[in-house]
Amino acid sequence: MESKEIILSGILELYATGLASQEEVNEVQLYLQQYPEVANELAQIEAGIELYAKTFSVQPNPLVKEKIFLRINKESTVEKVFKLTDTSTAKIISTRPYWKFATAASVALLLGSIAINISMFNQRNKTATNLEQTAKELASLKEENKLIEGDLQIVQSKYSKPVSLHGLDAAPDAAAKIFWMENTGEVYIDPSDLPETPKGMQYQLWAIVDGKPVDGGMILTSKKGDKYRIQKMKTFGKVEAFAVTLETQSGNTAPKGPMFVMGKM
Amino acid sequence: MDEIKKYTEDELVALLQHQNKQAFSYLYDNYAPALNNIIFRMVEDISLAEDILQEAFIKIWNNFANYDSSKGRLFTWMLNLTRNLTIDTLRSKGYKKQSKISGDENSVSNLHDSTININKFDSMGLRKQLESLKPDQKIIIDMAYFNGYTQDEIAKELGIPLGTVKTRMRTAIIELRKLLQDK
Repeated sequence: MESKEIILSGILELYATGLASQEEVNEVQLYLQQYPEVANELAQIEAGIELYAKTFSVQPNPLVKEKIFLRINKESTVEKVFKLTDTSTAKIISTRPYWKFATAASVALLLGSIAINISMFNQRNKTATNLEQTAKELASLKEENKLIEGDLQIVQSKYSKPVSLHGLDAAPDAAAKIFWMENTGEVYIDPSDLPETPKGMQYQLWAIVDGKPVDGGMILTSKKGDKYRIQKMKTFGKVEAFAVTLETQSGNTAPKGPMFVMGKM
Repeated sequence: MDEIKKYTEDELVALLQHQNKQAFSYLYDNYAPALNNIIFRMVEDISLAEDILQEAFIKIWNNFANYDSSKGRLFTWMLNLTRNLTIDTLRSKGYKKQSKISGDENSVSNLHDSTININKFDSMGLRKQLESLKPDQKIIIDMAYFNGYTQDEIAKELGIPLGTVKTRMRTAIIELRKLLQDK
């Protein structure tokens, strides 16, 4: 058959849509090797229906991908263990049948098997450790996710009123954000843009009520700890402004240190 | 199709032959939604469809050495593998093949309108173009490509002679290609 005839016959369309019989499949695969123009036509048919398939897409649950990757990560370690045993048994089969050699062989076999056992045992331990590590990582990611979700809830709450605190002379680039809950008076602070505190010092939040600063609580800014977390501070029903000063650790009853950021309601 | 491609098909295949997980992740992101839809159309059960999707990708990963690019595009191979797996699952669970599609072909695609997630891919624009595909052309492509019908089953379902399936399919796909090229 000539390439033109093949293309016109419709057999390529059957092949691309999975309709072709085994006989037709063999036929097409032969043509594909023989005629570049047939291969090209098929590629175009396939590209067309692939686009068609993609037009009707439904996003699967993200968990599906996670599960697939957990499984392929696990399977690749199991596979290695099996490959190891395969090559060792192949050698044993080829030992000669003489009894002298048989004794030697059985010793070799025993030694070999001990070696395999040890190495399999090590592999297994390794796999178990890897698995444990993955589980730990997953747990800590989940924990982090929970925290972030908590932060989001605060930010997205319909009662949350954001107040930006801007940097003052002591640190013009510093900033902080307050989220004040209109319904409960709860105050949250995002201190991630405050500069690192010097040793022995700590930031303290002040709420300005009736023109006077009232202690709003100490802000945690340790690098490892909660610096980047939104923190809950003291609750205020009525506030005119918020300010943050740098105080000696555990704070003061009235602000003594330099004021870093401030923002009016 | 404004999708930003990270790999060409050849690159992707080469990487997957070396069990590259990053390439596999890309493969999943690119093709899982389309395959998910196809499985869902066959099983009509979201969680079963996602189970099959998971198994299909595990199979794709484990059997990638069997893919031969001289015999067709990657997606065609993946689709065949997925469709066969779905049919086997349905058989083992005692399901009957659904024949809903011939009744009202529009209901099937409309069903998904609300659940479809149009990411970088302009599926809305393409769907609009596909609206001018004749219903009998759409049905025949869907039956074969999405639902895994055989030539026999299509002939019976549509009440046409067996020999006509081939020519009908060709006309339908020519029309489809024309529509997609017009863009």
